[in-house]
Amino acid sequence: MQVTFDVYRKDSGPDAQPWRSTYDVDLPEHATVTDGLLKIRDEIDGTLSFRASCLRGYCGECLTKIGRGNRFACTARVAAVGASGPIVLNPVRVVPVIKDLVFDWDAFMWNKIKAVKPWLEAEDVDDGETVISDAAMKDLRKTMSCYYCGLCDEGCTALPEDFHFLGPAALTKAYRFVFDPRDTQTSERLKILERPKGIWDCVHCFEASEHCPRGIEPTERIIAMRDLAFKTGITNDRVARHHMSFAASVKESGWVDEGRLAVESEGLTNIPGLIKLLPTAMKAVARGKAPIPYLHPKRPGADRIKRIFEKGEQNAK
Amino acid sequence: MKYALYAGCVSKGGCPELYPAATKVADRLGIELEELTDVGCNGAGVLPQYISDPINARTFAKAEKLGLPMMTICSTCQGVMTQANHRLKGHPAYREEINREYLAEEGLEYQGTLEIKHLLWVLFEDLGIEELKSKIQRPLTGLKISPFYGCYLRRPPEIMMPTPETKQRSTYLDQLIGILGAEFTDIAGKGKCCGFPILQASEENSLAMAARHTGEAKGKGADAMVTPCPLCHLNLDGNQHRAEAQVGAKIGLPILHLPQFVGLALGFDAAEMNLQRHIVPTGPVAAKVEMLS
Repeated sequence: MQVTFDVYRKDSGPDAQPWRSTYDVDLPEHATVTDGLLKIRDEIDGTLSFRASCLRGYCGECLTKIGRGNRFACTARVAAVGASGPIVLNPVRVVPVIKDLVFDWDAFMWNKIKAVKPWLEAEDVDDGETVISDAAMKDLRKTMSCYYCGLCDEGCTALPEDFHFLGPAALTKAYRFVFDPRDTQTSERLKILERPKGIWDCVHCFEASEHCPRGIEPTERIIAMRDLAFKTGITNDRVARHHMSFAASVKESGWVDEGRLAVESEGLTNIPGLIKLLPTAMKAVARGKAPIPYLHPKRPGADRIKRIFEKGEQNAK
Repeated sequence: MKYALYAGCVSKGGCPELYPAATKVADRLGIELEELTDVGCNGAGVLPQYISDPINARTFAKAEKLGLPMMTICSTCQGVMTQANHRLKGHPAYREEINREYLAEEGLEYQGTLEIKHLLWVLFEDLGIEELKSKIQRPLTGLKISPFYGCYLRRPPEIMMPTPETKQRSTYLDQLIGILGAEFTDIAGKGKCCGFPILQASEENSLAMAARHTGEAKGKGADAMVTPCPLCHLNLDGNQHRAEAQVGAKIGLPILHLPQFVGLALGFDAAEMNLQRHIVPTGPVAAKVEMLS
């Protein structure tokens, strides 16, 4: 079949400006996008750069934006993605491009993986071996099946706004050690993960889980680490103020006192922070919709909810 | 058609215009509501599961006892509680443990039979589009509307839209805009996060998201955006002026709650739907709607 490729091009270097190249290629029906790229490079344009390694949808090297979606070029069939027009290829979002479709994997993922200390810090044992049950490893084994394809980071909602956010791939790697029963650094790890750009910057939109081809559920992993931080005491001050205020009003009244939450999240003695709230608060007052802090009626059954809350905290310890 | 209404915190707190708009619209559509008042906050993704699951099990037990399905008017409430319900329904041992440990002393038990539906789903799946169409008094012709689902109503899809029929849920808001006579103005960010969940942890990123989505709709010529989630509304409407200041550009896009949007088509006027209570002025939308009357 005749296929047209419309490919993003860019030379290396900070001042390089992108352009596009178009190639017409004759390919068999079963050919993949990578087959097409290899043919272009071998027969038409030797300057075209792209990544390809395993050619069987495993290694993630060829992660590419194909049309509107992000796919592995080596498993995307030209007959499917090129059925209704040219195959439009772009590097995945927000990542620094080295050349053409080759983007910077270090910046995209590996530097972030390194930042979460991806190694076990177990206690030394006399016989040189720590035996743990299969049940304890079952959940972790799922996260260990991650092969760093990057699709979760590619789908992440927060990364386009802030490329320095650690992102779901690195945070899933962190989970693998935070919940390893042999590891001795859980609280130290959480402290690192709770810093800005870590677990609290995740919007828990579940895009990462939807994008993960292995069902590792990165979003749920991040939520589990946040729940653990809640249990052991949140060390990120801003988040701690917000979450503790939220918890206190649910505990006391059954539901959230949003006025109180706004002021306590900033901190009652944080005058600049409170001043920052004023324009919004004044607009809300003018529209008759500002919830007045602490003027917050108890829900019927609030005492029951408080009891459940406290029991939950007790049982989690 | 009757539901136990879980109103949530925001519809009576930060967005007090939502609750009366929703109940008026339900009443006009013949959707009977029995509000659950003796129930707690579902946790909204802030409280950890080991606290929110038992609180939600209590809510579900109370609705189940009424023998009614439960309706929400907030995507976050819907998402958090659907996920909790999925865990409780799917793991009888877990449910029994929560019943025994937290609910038994109040004489409650959750049997795992409750169905929870957002108003948006109720319109399509229970009321039916033909019935809705028959109640339209004022097709919103000429009004350009962008949808904004937010995160929680569509993800995780295997929990929020578990069957071939419910897969349609991912387009209900798109469809509704046309059904009510308005002009569908699509945006790429309609299923993304509004930024509200990280307003504390990362205000800059949060406001950047609000600016991105409202700016996209404005750029495509939308008169307003409609959302089924009041938490999205808090960021997209309430913080839009801050998002504008951050990106250094005026956006000025009114954000309608789902029931307000439906209500306008059912013939309620802008004031009855409390449009004057929004932070971003809704005057231009209200004026366009009034001209249609």
